[in-house]
Order: sequence, then C-alpha cells, then structure tokens
Amino acid sequence: MNALITTALLGVVLMFTGLFVKNKQQIKYIAILGALLAFVANIVDLQTISGGGSKVLFGMLEVSHFSILFNAIAIGATLLYFILCGSAFEKVGEHVADYFALIFFILAGITMTGAFSNLLILFISIEILSIPQYILAGADKQNLKSNEASLKYFLMGSFSTGILLMGIALIYGATGTFNVTEMALGTGELNPMALIGITLLGFALSFKVSAAPFHFWTPDVYDGSPTVFTAFMATVVKAAGFIAFLRLFHVTFNGGNMSSHWQLVLAIITAATLIIGNFTAVFQISVKRMLAYSSIAQAGFMLFGVISLNQLAVQGIMLYAIAYSVGTIGIFAILLKMKDYTFDGFNGLAKKQPFVACVATIFLMSLAGIPLTAGFFAKYLVLSAAIQQGNLLWLVIIAVLCAAVSAYYYFRVIIAMYFKQGDANVENVTPGFKVALFVTAAIVIILGIFPGLLLQLI
Amino acid sequence: MDLQLILFILLSAVAIISALGVVFSKNPVSSVLCLIVTFIAIAGHYILLNAQFLAVVHIIVYTGAIMVLFLFVIMLMNLNADIEPQKRNWMKYAGVISGGVMFLVLLAAVRDANMPALSTTSTDIGLIENLGKTLFTTYVVPFEISSILFLSAMVGAVIIGKKD
Repeated sequence: MNALITTALLGVVLMFTGLFVKNKQQIKYIAILGALLAFVANIVDLQTISGGGSKVLFGMLEVSHFSILFNAIAIGATLLYFILCGSAFEKVGEHVADYFALIFFILAGITMTGAFSNLLILFISIEILSIPQYILAGADKQNLKSNEASLKYFLMGSFSTGILLMGIALIYGATGTFNVTEMALGTGELNPMALIGITLLGFALSFKVSAAPFHFWTPDVYDGSPTVFTAFMATVVKAAGFIAFLRLFHVTFNGGNMSSHWQLVLAIITAATLIIGNFTAVFQISVKRMLAYSSIAQAGFMLFGVISLNQLAVQGIMLYAIAYSVGTIGIFAILLKMKDYTFDGFNGLAKKQPFVACVATIFLMSLAGIPLTAGFFAKYLVLSAAIQQGNLLWLVIIAVLCAAVSAYYYFRVIIAMYFKQGDANVENVTPGFKVALFVTAAIVIILGIFPGLLLQLI
Repeated sequence: MDLQLILFILLSAVAIISALGVVFSKNPVSSVLCLIVTFIAIAGHYILLNAQFLAVVHIIVYTGAIMVLFLFVIMLMNLNADIEPQKRNWMKYAGVISGGVMFLVLLAAVRDANMPALSTTSTDIGLIENLGKTLFTTYVVPFEISSILFLSAMVGAVIIGKKD
C-alpha cells in the first residue's frame, strides 16, 4: 500500500519538476531518487503483514509477501531502467519530466496488480498501467510510425478493456460480488454466465500480455514506439500483466474443479504463443522487432506459471519476471546507443567495445535460457511446475523445442558481434553506464547461480 | 400480460431494430441517429430494472454528449460511400462467423443462468442517494484511485496536444 501511495505522489512531484528544473539530467536524478524512495517505502510495508497477508483499505487490497516481492521487483527493475536508459528520454521529446511522471503513474498501477482483492481494483490497475503507455508510444510526435503505434495500441487496448469489463460484469451478475475471495466460484455448480465471464477475462488479460492469437498489436507497437519506452513496456509492464493474470486465476478461478474449464483453453493459447512468437522471430531483420517477437515468445513461457496452479509456478513466474525484465532492459539499453538496429548493425562490436559485447552476450544467453544465468532457472521452474501439475507434458515438449529455436535468433546477435567483420560502435559509453551494465549483468549471473536468494522470500 | 412485460418487449424490439439499423444503414449520419434510439431504449430498460440514476446519466452522457460529438466528427470528416475503404469479402465472413459464434455461446449461457445479484424488492435501490452512499463507503478506494487514472490521462492529453 505504501508503494501505491508513494509512486502516485512521485508521479505528481515529477510532473511539477518539469516546471522548476530546467536541466534534464537533474530531472533524471530526481526520478532515480524517487524510485529508490518507492523501493524503500515498499519494503517498510513488510511490518504490516500478519500471517499470510493483511487486507487494507476496506478490504480492497491484500498486502502479502507475494505482492511486496513483486512490487520490489517492478520498482527495482524501473530503477535499473532509469539508470541505464534515463538519458535517452531527452532524445524523444521536450517533456522529459512528464515522461518520468507517466512512468511513475504506470508503476502506481503495477503496485496493485499483485495485491488486488476486488475486481474493480483489477480493472482500475489495468487501466492505469495501459493509458500512460498509449501516450508514451506516441511520444515521438514527428515520427509517423510512433503515431501509428500509439493509435493502434489505443484502439486495440480500448477493445480489450471493453472485453475485460464485460467479463467482470458477467461474473458480478453470476455471483453478486466483486470480491475475489468471496466469489467462491468453485463451490457448487458453476453458473454458465460466470464461465463466459472467466473466458472473457482470460481473453482480455491475454491481450494485455500479448499472448497469441491476441498478439497482433505487439510487433507494430513495440517497433514503432520510441525505443526507450519499448524497453519499459516490454518488460516491467508485461510482467505486471502476468502477475495480475496469475493472482486472478490462482485465487479466484481455482476452487473445486474450476480449473478444468479454462486450463485447456489457456494451454492452447500458450502453445500458439510459443510457436508463433519463436518462429516469427527467426525471420526478423531488425533486432528491435526481433525483441518484440521474443517478448511474445517469453510470454508463452510465463503463461506456464498461470496454468500450472502450484506454488512452484508462483516462484517460477517471480523469477521469470526478474530474469526477463532485467535481461531485456539491459539489451535495450545497449540497443539505444546503437545507430543501426539491424542484425548487421552489430557486426564486429566485440572488437570496438569488448565489455559492452560481453554483457550483451550475458543478457542474450539469459533470455535464451542457458545455464548459469537467471533465465535458465526461470524456464526450469515454470516447466517443472507444469510437469508437477501432471497432464501438461505435451505442452512442456513444445516449450523445450521452442526454447531451442529461440537460441537461434538470440545467438545471431552474438555471432554478429564476435565473428563478423564490421564497424559497429556504441556512442558515448560513460564509465557510469559501464558500471550500471556490470551491476545488471551481475544480477543475471547471481540469480542464475543462487536462485534461492529470491525464492526464499515468497 | 402486465404492463412491465409489455414495456419490456416494446423497448427490446425498438433496441434490436435500431441496433440492426446502425449496422446496416449506408449513411453514417442515419447510423448515429439509430444509435441514439438504441441508447434511449436501453435507458428504458434501466428504469425497468430500478436503476433510475443510471438511466438519466445514460441519456445525458451517451445520447447527449457523446452522440453530438459523433455527429460533429462525421460532419467534419465529410464521410460518404465513395471514400469508404473497401473491405475484403473473407474479412466480412470471418467477422460474421466469429460474431455469430460468440452470440450463440452468450445465448446458450444466459438461457440457463440464474442471476442472484438482481434484486427487485426495493424500488429506491438505484436512486442517487444510495449510489452515493455506496460510492463513498464501500467503494471509496477504487473511486479515489481512479483519480490517478484521470490525472495520467490529462498529462497525456497535454503532452500530445501541446505544440513543440
């Protein structure tokens, strides 16, 4: 709850900073300080928990170890993002302070995704994290592709919001309550209206996390938006969507034999997401667009956490959220400093910038799921959760095959950097940037060797 | 047959016919006019369900404000059949099939569903007094949090609208 209040207030503070602070570097430092403050405020919340979790604010939010850990991951990843990519904000447009403010508002929405215990809060949090994204996607006003991305995202997002609301309304009609624990959908015979509501909610959330066949907006939006904002949209926000998905389907739609109604549908969505995401990523020329498809492919793996329905899945999705967010933010931070976004643009980077090429390799290996990186244990946990669940073995086999395919397009970048001739270069790599990259890579490696450090916190 | 049932059938018929009119009419202006009729008929349904305040808001906001906006946009864009983009046939069929399947599923669900939330005993449940009480007691938190949503939307409108 502290995290929600601090991030919302910080959004207002950053808004006014633009009025009083003219130096854009200083605005970035204020935002970094703000993110640190929100991180600490979130940790302080640990004192208020008694037992499994405590309901606050008229029972609308439930503060638990789960929600605090996810808030810490989201705010921590945002902090890294500010440090690594914050300087690129001023290249997008004039309103740097407002962009930071919008990101804090998105964070305010994100802090509720792990804690909601009322469907109204779910709806509001999904909206708070969507609407600023539509604006950030169109922040580069002179660029037609950015305008297209914003409009496309806005229209498709509005439709999916409508579907989400329709689902909530049908579930309310069937149960008479918005409270996710009071609903008790699992006991007794299931009302057909509730079943349609669950299906519609599943579709709307699949759209928000860009699962196939609701993924068509993703490549265009991620490719058209300013790269610095794509880095945020594709990582922290997407992880938040999964946390909302997980919480809703584990807490509310899990009692009795409920899961038999939706598990197969979600399993098919997962298989489609894995196959479409991985196989389309193979054919991309631009690294930015490849990362957009790879975010669809990674969404397929995170969906395993939603359908597996056990404690291992919850741990897996947490580790996945941090491994994927940190790795992708790191890659985007390096991409932001490149002139050419194609695979050829990376040719020969290792000779000019050996350190940058080395950390880029670590991030890419983590995304591909190579051992000794956080990505490996994240994939291992979500897949073993699915095996533990029992009847999803066919899906696990598809996932392993797709992971092998994904190694191909991630390694294309590594091969371009190390084994091809070219004069790729990264501009203005400051020592501070190198230190930040080193810390980010260290997180990936440490969590890849000692994943227990994070998992024991849940 | 009591009065309520007759009213319900009448309103439903008006709503369905005018909704079909929205889809099938070639002229965008008559589409909008049909939509207004649909909204008024649905407002009548709200009154039958004891949601008087919702009915009034529905008429003021949707039929009043939003539809006027729609008409202005259509007039400013000067739409007519010549410049309407051609849609491919298979897209039309795909739309009809998926929409029809959704309709069938919803119909099948509503047919044997029971709705515990609907209370017809008290007549003043939809009055503004009760709504206000609920909004400022049980649902005060979502109500306050939505201010963040509006603030971020306003910041966005300024960013996008301002000249650089």
